[in-house]
Amino acid sequence: MSARENKDTTYKIQVMRDILAKKLTRSVVGSLVACVHCGMCNEACHYVLSHPDDPKMTPSFKADQLRKLFKYNHDWTGSVIPWWVGAKEPHTDADLDVLKDIAFGTCTNCRRCTLNCPMGVDTAVLNRIMRGLLSAVGVMPEGVRVVSKDQWEVGNQMGVLKEDYLDTLDWMSGELASEVGDETARIPIDEPGTEVMYTINPREAKYDPRTIAAAAKIFWAAGESWTMPSEGWDQTNFGLFSGDDQLGGAAARRVYEKQKELGAKRIVISECGHGYRSTRCEGPNWAGIDQDWEMESSVFTMLRYIKEGRIKVDLNKLDKRTTYHDSCNLARSCGITEEPRELLRLVSNDFVEMTPNRAENYCCTGGGGAMSMSEYTPRRLRSAKIKADQIAATGAKIVVTSCHNCVDGLSDLIKHYKLGCEVKQLVDLVADALIIEECAVMKKPKVVVEMPKPALPLHGRRILVVDDEPDVRIFLRTVLEDAGAEIYEAADGNQALAMARRHKPDLISLDLSMEGKDGIETFAELRSDVQIRDIPVCVVTGHPEFREVIYQRAVPMPEGYMDKPVKEDELVDNFRRILDLAEHHKVHA
Amino acid sequence: MPAHEPSPLLHAVEIIHWAALAVMVVVYTLRIRWLLSFRATRDRQKPGSSDRTDAQRGAYYSLGNVLMPWAMESTRNGFLFYLTFAVFHLGVVAGIGLAFLSTVARPFLQHAVVSTTIMALLFAAFAIGLYRIGRRFLRPVMKLISTPDDYFSIFMLTAWFFLGGLTELSIIGRLPGEGYAVAYLLLTSFFLLYVPFSKISHYLYYPFTRIWLGRTLGHRGTYPLVKG
Repeated sequence: MSARENKDTTYKIQVMRDILAKKLTRSVVGSLVACVHCGMCNEACHYVLSHPDDPKMTPSFKADQLRKLFKYNHDWTGSVIPWWVGAKEPHTDADLDVLKDIAFGTCTNCRRCTLNCPMGVDTAVLNRIMRGLLSAVGVMPEGVRVVSKDQWEVGNQMGVLKEDYLDTLDWMSGELASEVGDETARIPIDEPGTEVMYTINPREAKYDPRTIAAAAKIFWAAGESWTMPSEGWDQTNFGLFSGDDQLGGAAARRVYEKQKELGAKRIVISECGHGYRSTRCEGPNWAGIDQDWEMESSVFTMLRYIKEGRIKVDLNKLDKRTTYHDSCNLARSCGITEEPRELLRLVSNDFVEMTPNRAENYCCTGGGGAMSMSEYTPRRLRSAKIKADQIAATGAKIVVTSCHNCVDGLSDLIKHYKLGCEVKQLVDLVADALIIEECAVMKKPKVVVEMPKPALPLHGRRILVVDDEPDVRIFLRTVLEDAGAEIYEAADGNQALAMARRHKPDLISLDLSMEGKDGIETFAELRSDVQIRDIPVCVVTGHPEFREVIYQRAVPMPEGYMDKPVKEDELVDNFRRILDLAEHHKVHA
Repeated sequence: MPAHEPSPLLHAVEIIHWAALAVMVVVYTLRIRWLLSFRATRDRQKPGSSDRTDAQRGAYYSLGNVLMPWAMESTRNGFLFYLTFAVFHLGVVAGIGLAFLSTVARPFLQHAVVSTTIMALLFAAFAIGLYRIGRRFLRPVMKLISTPDDYFSIFMLTAWFFLGGLTELSIIGRLPGEGYAVAYLLLTSFFLLYVPFSKISHYLYYPFTRIWLGRTLGHRGTYPLVKG
């Protein structure tokens, strides 16, 4: 090690010592001094059970990494005869990397060991503190670094830009209106004084907006006064995973402040284990705010609507066996075990418990930020064997969970172990089971207002239709011209780029799968050309699997997305919304 | 009450023993002050499930956990291990009782039921101590997490149980002389001085850790656990 490296490492260790001193509360010190190394926590850990040949997986060994540092600096015996009680400090960057591997790569902070410790040692909390010390000196997996940075800088952990988030809500509003056949049905944004402010996991906005539409359908059906915030909507919190209490406090405060600003009576947190724990349980502690407002999981909200008769669900709509996976954060850290089951039993007539369950359930193996640490994926999937066996034993075709992280973790292991089942959330099941005719919204008196006949919805709009199939181009041209638009056509990517530069249309309808230059490449070029990059694009494709590819590009996302075959009215409606929103942005830019 | 007429040597050892206890009390007091010198925290969020449980109920449940082997999977599935834990710690109670009663109420220890109970517990705890030594040496997991303090503590405690059993035998006249009692009290005195600096002091922290964890998990609605 060079002198410079040595100096850097010494500095890092000093920083870790300083932060540790600040994190030493009574309960933390209690957990640090009370362990007797009895090994009772051993079999509680899914990493131990799936790696029986590796003693380093045992929870007390993981907690000992922090214990060594603590004893060296704060314990009587440890500071005088350190070797006697195993007190020790890291000395090199390699030592810090070993600690990183243990704290981030061999523990999901699921707290199962905590509940199995006879002494009441909270090993998961100790591991989180170790993560916090390492994160503070920049020693953390790249995924954790990137996600934490996004949460600090963009305001949500997936770096979803405000305009993309609003576009997605607008898109889902359209979906909602067309699904329920009510033009007034929409997702309200920043509406003041509502009963509910609904917060979500950024994964929903970025990868799974169906859950937003499902929740919106339920709120609509219940006749709820609700809104989604334009900011402070991310209820997740990477501070929980990285051990950074400052990030935890900042992220939680954003949500609380927005709720205060809008004057909503309660924050409803969509189904997410760590999001709920962070916002509802840890957030007030991190932010230093005494909770004087209401916060609840959407599971409670949906259950309340049913009990109050505001929505009605069909028990027999679902014809597959279900089981319920308890999220660690909900069951062990927040005591939510019964309400999800009560709700699930109302929408599933073939529900079986997995064993063990509730607070004794095994982690989905994707918790603790594990899904963002790809370097540990093989180890994670090996540890998932326990969970896979648990699921397989139920014979269920649908694994229901109230956590987005668990959805990803379980989906991954189901695929890996070829279990042949799918993962769903309660919001999906409840939305599907709604008996709309018997919901509160249908009981409200209808107000009929005579409106003047509107002008053609796309009157005066110039739209470039890009598709290699002539039949599709004819269909799109016919529908859009009937709606008043002026149409240009292109049969491939190169033609599309040339026409976009020449005509500067108001909107481009882009197919993805085309001969020659495909839509993905064309889209990237469109977005890279300063002259045409601001033209809104709506992808219209028969290949939904390409969606992820286009969203992963390091360019702004398309303004809209539609799966073929498209319905005439949906096509016109979506295009109109995209154009209205683009105009709105232009005016406010 | 005048319990017995000890020899000058045994009498001196008894005094040492009581002095060691006084030192331990002082050190333990300092130790608790040290623990309480750290910042106390409180949950700022509203209770999680106030109709079912609360912080106080969680604390009681957590504290009583040691008497409910069915409450934790680790003790439920490892019931034999739980039994050895219970007997081992009852052995500790018997050993401490023997040390103090032998100096102030020796005739009580000569009562057949009392002496049989104490010896049964001490020799059973001794056997469990031997098992625990083997477990700590042979199981890779235990070796990995063990420190010299862990090995030393279990060795010394196992020896203390054995010596305690022999002392009780000498008290009821089955073994000659007071050498066992002298050795036992000296070893006990050593423990009284050593324990506050070793892992054996875990029992001092036990109520604190269990109550703190119980309060947190009770407030959030987790404790008492709901079983399926």
